[in-house]
Amino acid sequence: MQNAGAPRESFLERHRKVLLGLLAVLLFFAAWQAAFLVVPFNPLFISKPNLIAKAFVDLIADGDMLRDLGVSAMPFLYGFVSAAVVGIVVGIVMGWRVRVGYALDPLMTVFYATPLVALAPLVIVFFGVGVSGKAIIIFSLSVFPFIFNAQAGVRAVDRLLINVVRSLGGSEWDLYVKVIVPGVLPYIVAGARIAVGRALIGILVGEFFAASEGIGYAIARFGDLFALDKMFACILAIMVIAIVLTEGIRWAERAAFPWRVGR
Amino acid sequence: MVACIEGRNVSLTFRPPNRGPVRALQGFDIDVQDGEFLSIVGPSGCGKSTFLNVVLGLIKADSGDVLMRGKPIAGPGTDRAMVFQEFGLLPWRTVLNNIELGLELKGVPAGQRRDVSQRFVQMVGLSGFEGHYPHELSGGMKQRVGLARALATDPDVLLMDEPFAALDAQTRDVMQVELLRIWHEAKKTVLFVTHQIEEAIYLSDRVMVMTKRPGHAKKIFAIDLPRPRDYEMRVTPEFNELKLQIWHALKDEITV
Repeated sequence: MQNAGAPRESFLERHRKVLLGLLAVLLFFAAWQAAFLVVPFNPLFISKPNLIAKAFVDLIADGDMLRDLGVSAMPFLYGFVSAAVVGIVVGIVMGWRVRVGYALDPLMTVFYATPLVALAPLVIVFFGVGVSGKAIIIFSLSVFPFIFNAQAGVRAVDRLLINVVRSLGGSEWDLYVKVIVPGVLPYIVAGARIAVGRALIGILVGEFFAASEGIGYAIARFGDLFALDKMFACILAIMVIAIVLTEGIRWAERAAFPWRVGR
Repeated sequence: MVACIEGRNVSLTFRPPNRGPVRALQGFDIDVQDGEFLSIVGPSGCGKSTFLNVVLGLIKADSGDVLMRGKPIAGPGTDRAMVFQEFGLLPWRTVLNNIELGLELKGVPAGQRRDVSQRFVQMVGLSGFEGHYPHELSGGMKQRVGLARALATDPDVLLMDEPFAALDAQTRDVMQVELLRIWHEAKKTVLFVTHQIEEAIYLSDRVMVMTKRPGHAKKIFAIDLPRPRDYEMRVTPEFNELKLQIWHALKDEITV
């Protein structure tokens, strides 16, 4: 609306955010490729973009990569979804029930500060190399952003709105449903974006230590075999997935919270 | 005849953590008659908003009686509703859904809620804005929603806590006229808290002046100006005379 009467923006101007971002990515790969023309790197230890692209296409064409991704997707889904459910409930209760918050704050901070990755071998010993072991590692890494963000969201809830619902006869349950949860949702979505990154690390860690299939196992195996083209191709796949998930959440956020538009 | 709202010797002290206690009300007495428009003016922090919250049922007095039609007020109830200074609209709800909030909490079925809220959208002059979110509305429109939400549950008493204080001067003048029109139409008892003497006179049947903290009633003025009142009434000699009297009662209580 604010552009009414102004000349129509060109394609370049309208999409400059995306275009500039893409340009930087392309320049990065171009510089990587160009570096090989100048410096004689040992191809045993480093690969270059054109070879990685070829490996990427090959791995997709023969179905290996999709199979590995499929194997990793199950524990990812279980771990991430349960982290979201548990983290949101725990975070909201910690934020709203002051005493629960006081009691659990130090414990949660200790767990969060613990290098959980270092405990991954133990988890594998206890729960095996299957879906459950990986899911638990993913859960324990990605649950904290949900907890802390939900808690911060509850604390930011406008007390006036609480009083409004109380004064109109709302129960404790009504406060959760009508005020606290809707108020906290945007914070939870922000937490989900952080949790996605941590969950992806979780799947790799789980599969590095002990696994016989999955995308993390593929990366470790190709690395051991010095098949760096394929190793980087798998890493590239993880990067793409991370971007798709994060941007997907960002898009869903805009679609789901129309009242936030214009804030 | 039993008063609609009655306060007898009401005292209340706030005890905030890590700070000294604050005596908000001390020996506060009030009678609000059925259908009456009563305004309370008083210096900042004199406990006038506190008393509204006691009547609303959100806080309890330490001693004294606060009665609604002779029965002690124990908590929030659908016979009272508040219009808040900062509106208190749920930002994730549209105009219509905000107005329906009280009915929803009462468990009124959805279809019936829609009918009621549509009627109040009309009454407060927001037709065409039913689907707007609060951030898309001006301050005056937000308070129209606040008023409609309070009226939608059909309370006997409307409590208004400086409802127009957050609005600019012209919007406030318009909202005062609107409020009188709606008050005539909805026929509610109104207990109105404000800083503005002129606003209190223009709207009210009676105006109570409160002392500074700990607050109690200092003087009550009957406003015997004819109704319906128009904007021009504010420049009549009678109006200005009342303004002066109330100012004299109030000025000793104000400390800067």
